[in-house]
Amino acid sequence: MEQRGTSEAMSAHSFEEHTGEVRVRLSAPTFEALLVEAGRALAELLADEPPGELQEAERVTLQDVDRAALLVHWVDELIFLSETRKRLYSDLRVHSASEREVVADVRGWPASRVRTAVKAATFHGLKVSEGPGGFSAEVVLDV
Amino acid sequence: MSERKPMKVPPIERVSEVVVEVPQGARPDMHVPVRVFADDELMSQLLRDHSLEQLLNVSALPGVTRQALGMPDMHEGYGFPVGGVMGTVLPDGVISPGGIGFDINCGVRLLASRMRADDVKAELPPLLHELSRSVPTGYGRAGRLELDEEELDRVLEGGVPYLISRHGLGLPEDPQFIESSGRMPAADASCVSERAKQRGADQLGTLGGGNHFLEVQRVAEVFDEDAAEAFGLFTGQVTVLIHTGSRGLGHQVCTDYVREMDASLSRHGIELPDRQLACAPFSSPEGKRYFGAMSAAANFAWCNRQALTHRCREVFARVLGGKAEGGLRLVYDVAHNIAKVERYGARDLCVHRKGATRAFGPSNPEVPPPYRSAGQPVFIPGSMGTESYVLAGSDRSAEISLNSCCHGAGRSMSRTAAKKAVKGDQLRRELEGRGIIVKCPSNAELAEEAPLAYKDVSRVVDVVERAGIARKVARLVPLGVLKG
Repeated sequence: MEQRGTSEAMSAHSFEEHTGEVRVRLSAPTFEALLVEAGRALAELLADEPPGELQEAERVTLQDVDRAALLVHWVDELIFLSETRKRLYSDLRVHSASEREVVADVRGWPASRVRTAVKAATFHGLKVSEGPGGFSAEVVLDV
Repeated sequence: MSERKPMKVPPIERVSEVVVEVPQGARPDMHVPVRVFADDELMSQLLRDHSLEQLLNVSALPGVTRQALGMPDMHEGYGFPVGGVMGTVLPDGVISPGGIGFDINCGVRLLASRMRADDVKAELPPLLHELSRSVPTGYGRAGRLELDEEELDRVLEGGVPYLISRHGLGLPEDPQFIESSGRMPAADASCVSERAKQRGADQLGTLGGGNHFLEVQRVAEVFDEDAAEAFGLFTGQVTVLIHTGSRGLGHQVCTDYVREMDASLSRHGIELPDRQLACAPFSSPEGKRYFGAMSAAANFAWCNRQALTHRCREVFARVLGGKAEGGLRLVYDVAHNIAKVERYGARDLCVHRKGATRAFGPSNPEVPPPYRSAGQPVFIPGSMGTESYVLAGSDRSAEISLNSCCHGAGRSMSRTAAKKAVKGDQLRRELEGRGIIVKCPSNAELAEEAPLAYKDVSRVVDVVERAGIARKVARLVPLGVLKG
């Protein structure tokens, strides 16, 4: 389980066993931070080379039916951007995240290869829950 | 790392040495029984993950008929298990993008040369080297055929026949040896999102990563001389097996429609045990548009394997010169992840195959005429570095398994566990020590696909044959493998 520094205290992710795919477990003090942590987990899976120079910020605005669907949508958006821009997104700033909408600016660096090709985030076994310590989630990625 | 809850094992009845069944009443939401093709050993392996629970979820989908079926290589996936098969009764039974998967029409095609492996031993290293230079693998490497949007639309709807006639990437006789002749007529490019087209625009003719591969092989053993002769296979022959799919275009089509169908579930009054099984009636607007988009993505995948076939033919001719006379003949091409409308008795069913292939018997009119004496060729690749099998579908498979067969050995170990159990560089040395040429830039990816992470393919094939789904025709062994 990876722990983050002071500005993202309590944010963490871990990769769980799954026969065919990758299950990611996430925790964070806020839903915004949870989305950032999900992006970091994705970047960790993808990255196979040292980060390069960050490119210009790209605005991401997503709407969906609930928080769980928004989490899947967010990861899918980062996968789409990575594949079409040939960049890995490590600088993620979520400006607002409600139950139905996310607004963020993301910056990526050019990548010539990836370690694990990720096709999509899935709804399988998808959980997003809010407790006294913040948010936790589980999402399975198709790799 | 936290532990997942173990699966609650339902009541399982053994029907025969290679068939087990979970009766319909085992869970209140089941509409049909669950049937799995497995001997005791395969059954004990699949009970270690959640694949049976996932197949029970499939049996609860609206419109499902007969049984929810698990092939002998079944293992845990997302939504459907990998190796899961389901038929829904049309027009109003559901179609589920998660029952087909993100890599729409991931599949394999077998090419056969006229050469004997013994006659080209010295040329194999330069052959694999040239293949690795000509076939883009992994992330970010574009194919040579970048298409503008209008041309991409024509490829999506025209499939392999269009790719051959417009771009010259193949022989006129190739389409008859491809499932659905390399073109699903329901394809509708207007149902494929701009985002999916962006992901696929430069990916035609690329292998991709993960478990996709291109393998140069030798026919090590023939089990059925008549069928092998019909397929043009003989002992010692050099063959090529290509495993890839619809790349980012197909992934995005599935992403788009899972989201759309998830949002429309309540409108259709559908309740699901797993959101990844999001679905809609085949006859609904969402269902029709998804089938149009899925068919387009399937055509893209067949075109992808066709473009790779063209590169292989070029490389074989360039490296082997006169020895490659006769070129590489397309034996057959089968889809692994797809939904097809098929007739069973008086009913049309939407048959979902997720990590499973067709296995039509000799009397099915979709079997190419030259193979009507044998049945449709079925390919079951083993894990990297192990043997693969060619089988012939049986007419009985219609009743036994909705004309379906397994698509591989089936994973038994997670990628993380495989990397802990075996070192990539060690595996590379071991494969090379057995005379197999390995072209894979990443030791980690090599380890993820290590043979120990998969079930025993010969046991899986044995169950297929004993169940009466298909019979063994030939066994192929690797000479060289190219991985993303």
